[in-house]
Amino acid sequence: MDFEAMREYLPLFWQALGLTLRIGWQGVLLAFGLGTLCAVVLHLRLPLLRQFTAAYIELFRNTPLLVQLFFLYFALPKIGIRMRPAFCGVLGLGLLGGAYMAETIRSGLESIAPIQSESAWSLGMTRLQAFRYVILPQAVTRSVPGLLANVIFLLKETSVFSTISLMDLMFTAKDLIGMYAKTMECLTLLVVFYLIMLLPVSALGSLVERRLRHAEFGP
Amino acid sequence: MKPNNKLFALLLALVMVLSLAACGGSADTSAAGGSEPAEEAGEPAGEGGEAAGAEGNFRTLDEIQESGVINIGVFSDKSPFGYVDENGDYQGYDVYFANRIGEDLGVEVNFVSTEAASRIEYLQTGKVDIILANFTVTAERAEEVDFALPYMNVALGVVSPEDAVIESLDDIGSDDEVIVISGTTAETYLEKNEPDIKLQKYDAYAEAKTALENGNGVAWANDNTEVTAFAIENPGFVVGIPSLGSADTIAPAVTKGNATLLDWLNGEIEALGQEQFFHEDYEATLLDTYGADYEDTLVVEGGVTAAN
Repeated sequence: MDFEAMREYLPLFWQALGLTLRIGWQGVLLAFGLGTLCAVVLHLRLPLLRQFTAAYIELFRNTPLLVQLFFLYFALPKIGIRMRPAFCGVLGLGLLGGAYMAETIRSGLESIAPIQSESAWSLGMTRLQAFRYVILPQAVTRSVPGLLANVIFLLKETSVFSTISLMDLMFTAKDLIGMYAKTMECLTLLVVFYLIMLLPVSALGSLVERRLRHAEFGP
Repeated sequence: MKPNNKLFALLLALVMVLSLAACGGSADTSAAGGSEPAEEAGEPAGEGGEAAGAEGNFRTLDEIQESGVINIGVFSDKSPFGYVDENGDYQGYDVYFANRIGEDLGVEVNFVSTEAASRIEYLQTGKVDIILANFTVTAERAEEVDFALPYMNVALGVVSPEDAVIESLDDIGSDDEVIVISGTTAETYLEKNEPDIKLQKYDAYAEAKTALENGNGVAWANDNTEVTAFAIENPGFVVGIPSLGSADTIAPAVTKGNATLLDWLNGEIEALGQEQFFHEDYEATLLDTYGADYEDTLVVEGGVTAAN
């Protein structure tokens, strides 16, 4: 292995990691917000909104991110909607992630026994209060492992961003291979950098999971 | 799982990756140096005495003929040089030549679609026997693969929308982005000589072209043959810079060290020059796009360029 070349490529990989993380986290945040919103709509069975939400979830869960990005970046400009690549990346990731997060949070909500809602109501809480103070905190706690798995999944999905000209980790590696043909070196760096990005998330996941289990109540 | 276990697992993962990488490294050096018999002990010694044993990633001429199939890497989205037509068949200037190679070798041609950035890889990993994908000869690439005699001339060119034509690289503003395709000579040239110009890089021709049509970049820099074809096929676009950088040639490439196939290809190109094959190729595949004007500037016969 040519370690000299690897050292030379390092700054490019750090730069790519920065971009991947920036877009990745913005996408994850958007996904989380969107997912929570959708899960609440589904759980409370809000009329009309529920159908739209279900359609959104099915649409984005059953199409690949690559296809979604192609659509956002290459098809929408034809009808006059033009977005910068980075914005497309965040939006694509957020929409895809939102659909997955929604399902994860919803299953968390549904895992809370109905008796808890009923008890809260009988104590005089309104429907909204019971949801906000009793159900939601527990549901989020229960969803944490699933949510963190989604975060890791979403950060890995950034590897298809190269198709919309974003210089993410994958693209940087492919680009360097194309120019200098140092395959082994670039691909090793690529794996190491994905690990640098995702190992902390994975470790944090274990930690948070343990902490949250303390707060868990009931069966 | 306890956090300790988790941490251990993570560390183990890192170690696994690094040791894998290290293995690759030592195999590489032994291939290059050839002075570490212990490394090669696993393989039957003496097989294919010359470079074949070391690199091991190509098929000799005999092996190709024996198998009855030659794998040729071409573009599938670079009209009119290598593309897939509406019937799903490969067509174009490169493909026309590839078919002739198959005919003269007496084997079937299996076309493998490549992207610009993976052309060297495909040869080094033995996924194809020949790359015939508009491969410009450069010194850097010649270190990684072996080029045969050239069959086409090329330089760089820049195409832009006619209402905002880029006629010189100075026309490109500091915030403007120029579209290039990853792994092309245009990319390398601009990275080296014009580091201030912002590049917007795409993997595939189809995506770069759509990006230009959508106005995602101010211009597209690529082989001048390619940008000229684009301007002719797409009204509203003009080639503002018809020639940039040095005049280069395009040639077939084989895996480094594949001497038997390289020799055969060179002989083939020389022989085809006798019958003006590449003029025939031009007339069959490029005439519709470029007209007759470009025929003599583009075509190289028998591997002889104007320079030599």
